[in-house]
Amino acid sequence: MKNWPWAILAPATIFVLIGIFSPWLMTHNPAAQDYAALLEGPSWSHWLGTDYLGRDMFSRIIGGARTSLVAMVFVLVAALAIGVVIGSFAGYVGGKTELVLISMIDIALALPSLVIALALMGVFSGANFDWMSDYWKMIVALTLAWWANYARMSRAVVVAELQQPYIEAARVMGASHIWIFTRHILPHVLGLVVVYASADAGALVLAIATLSFLGLGVAPPTPEWGQMLVDGMSYIEENTALVIIPGLALTAVVVSFNLLGEAFALQKVPRAVRGRFLARKKAARAAEETARNEVEA
Amino acid sequence: MQRMFMRRVGLALLLMLAATALTFWLVTAAPGNVAALIAERAAGSGADGEMIARIADDLGLNDPLPVRYARWLGDALTGDFGVSLRTGKPMAEEFAERIPMTLALLVGGGILALVISLAMGIAGAASNGGVVDRVLHGLALVGASTPNFFVAALLVIVFSVWLGVLPSFGVSGLTSWLLPWVTIALFPASVLARVVRVNLQDTMSRPFATTGFAKGLTRRAVLFREALPNIAIPYMTTFGAQFTLMIIGAIVVERVFGLNGVGAFFIEAIRFRDFIGMQATLTLFVVFFVSVNLTVDLLAMLADPRLRRPRKA
Repeated sequence: MKNWPWAILAPATIFVLIGIFSPWLMTHNPAAQDYAALLEGPSWSHWLGTDYLGRDMFSRIIGGARTSLVAMVFVLVAALAIGVVIGSFAGYVGGKTELVLISMIDIALALPSLVIALALMGVFSGANFDWMSDYWKMIVALTLAWWANYARMSRAVVVAELQQPYIEAARVMGASHIWIFTRHILPHVLGLVVVYASADAGALVLAIATLSFLGLGVAPPTPEWGQMLVDGMSYIEENTALVIIPGLALTAVVVSFNLLGEAFALQKVPRAVRGRFLARKKAARAAEETARNEVEA
Repeated sequence: MQRMFMRRVGLALLLMLAATALTFWLVTAAPGNVAALIAERAAGSGADGEMIARIADDLGLNDPLPVRYARWLGDALTGDFGVSLRTGKPMAEEFAERIPMTLALLVGGGILALVISLAMGIAGAASNGGVVDRVLHGLALVGASTPNFFVAALLVIVFSVWLGVLPSFGVSGLTSWLLPWVTIALFPASVLARVVRVNLQDTMSRPFATTGFAKGLTRRAVLFREALPNIAIPYMTTFGAQFTLMIIGAIVVERVFGLNGVGAFFIEAIRFRDFIGMQATLTLFVVFFVSVNLTVDLLAMLADPRLRRPRKA
């Protein structure tokens, strides 16, 4: 592990790959019911057995990976974008605008994010929101519950960065606000926030599963781990696998993201990963260019 | 110092006000027509436009939002949170029945988390880098990553289904509390154990700890007498944060173990679009959340004079 810091990325990457390629990995249709094979154990045709409707557990787990991954990516990207915009704007502008925006952030943080998401799911169950599918309601609710953390963090970074002498130097040299913000401040904000988001991904996967577990998230035919688990609870006496398999999948994913977060927090990886990643891209681009030049020549 | 205290308390009250106003706006504005909902519940499909209009008028739903919020706030301050649309009972009555249940869950879980986290953190720091330390680190990582409903399910499988020694549902004596308490305590205990461990390690390398060693104190003496008191503030802050997050644990645990607490009521209120119940429960959560944070901040200010000084701009 010490010789190869990249290993820490492996578990999370596996989850992402399974999510992306799930349609090709599934051995059965995850929604197909087979009343001839209810609550079966593992076999050659059903690698992880079947559930109470005869659906293939393996395919449902694989399908659930995609459900979680897609929702997680949507929420993370949207929450991050909203949070960075509001937070860094507040930090950069200062004054009364900052005060108003900070109060907004504080109010949004006056309850745990998941409680806010739950309340919003309740609000969205009203008739005025029928135009959204349950899946999108969940994504919107989680985004609205999640942005404030990113906003608070972005603001803190901007405020700290603005006090650096080089910002003053840039200003003296006549750099515009937009230039200073995009060239000097934003990279710092994104650097920190993206690292935080990679660890936060685990918490988000948990939140998605918790909403479904409570019956307020993804609606039934779509395979989802939290929902599989709550369905399995009814058959806990007959077949514990229905509960244990989705639970283990969920735990494994959260562990892998938390490992990543811990590694980032202890600064075991960040520079190596970020620096080398960028360097490789640059090298690849350079190689591509020379190759093209050669062909043209 | 008193001014700082008062300022902090004032801010907390303002925050409660703003947060309840926001939830009030969201919860009452969104469902569309509360009056229609009530009429539907009361008369089934027989509800006509006239009845809906009368109910809306009775409840003052046609008034502007600030007026309605002011009226709601006035009622809430006297302990009147309205009547639940789902159960038909006054919310004050619901709360009187349910708050003790949730409080017992939170306090029991909190104490358990406190004991486990201190034991794990100190044991880890004592074996600094050894096998015990690594095993505990791994346990804390898994504990902080396992969804609490999965923990609950596993506990039920082992202790109720396989061993059959503990009940998996409802309340009947102390034994029925064991599984809910363990479930709700696992996550905060894991997070707090890391806090204890990391901060102890940090404090043990500070000059005053070195002085302790130089004086000839044993490792144990330095750990308990010099280092431990110094982690009180970070520990307290994180404990406060984790304690408030246990609301989520309570929501899940009450549902799994069939406890009739506030969390279970909240979920039912959401599902049945009981917006009055939702608003009342959210208010309760806001008050709990903000006042726990306030208490932690004030305690930290009491404990650490550096936090009492007004911050320089």
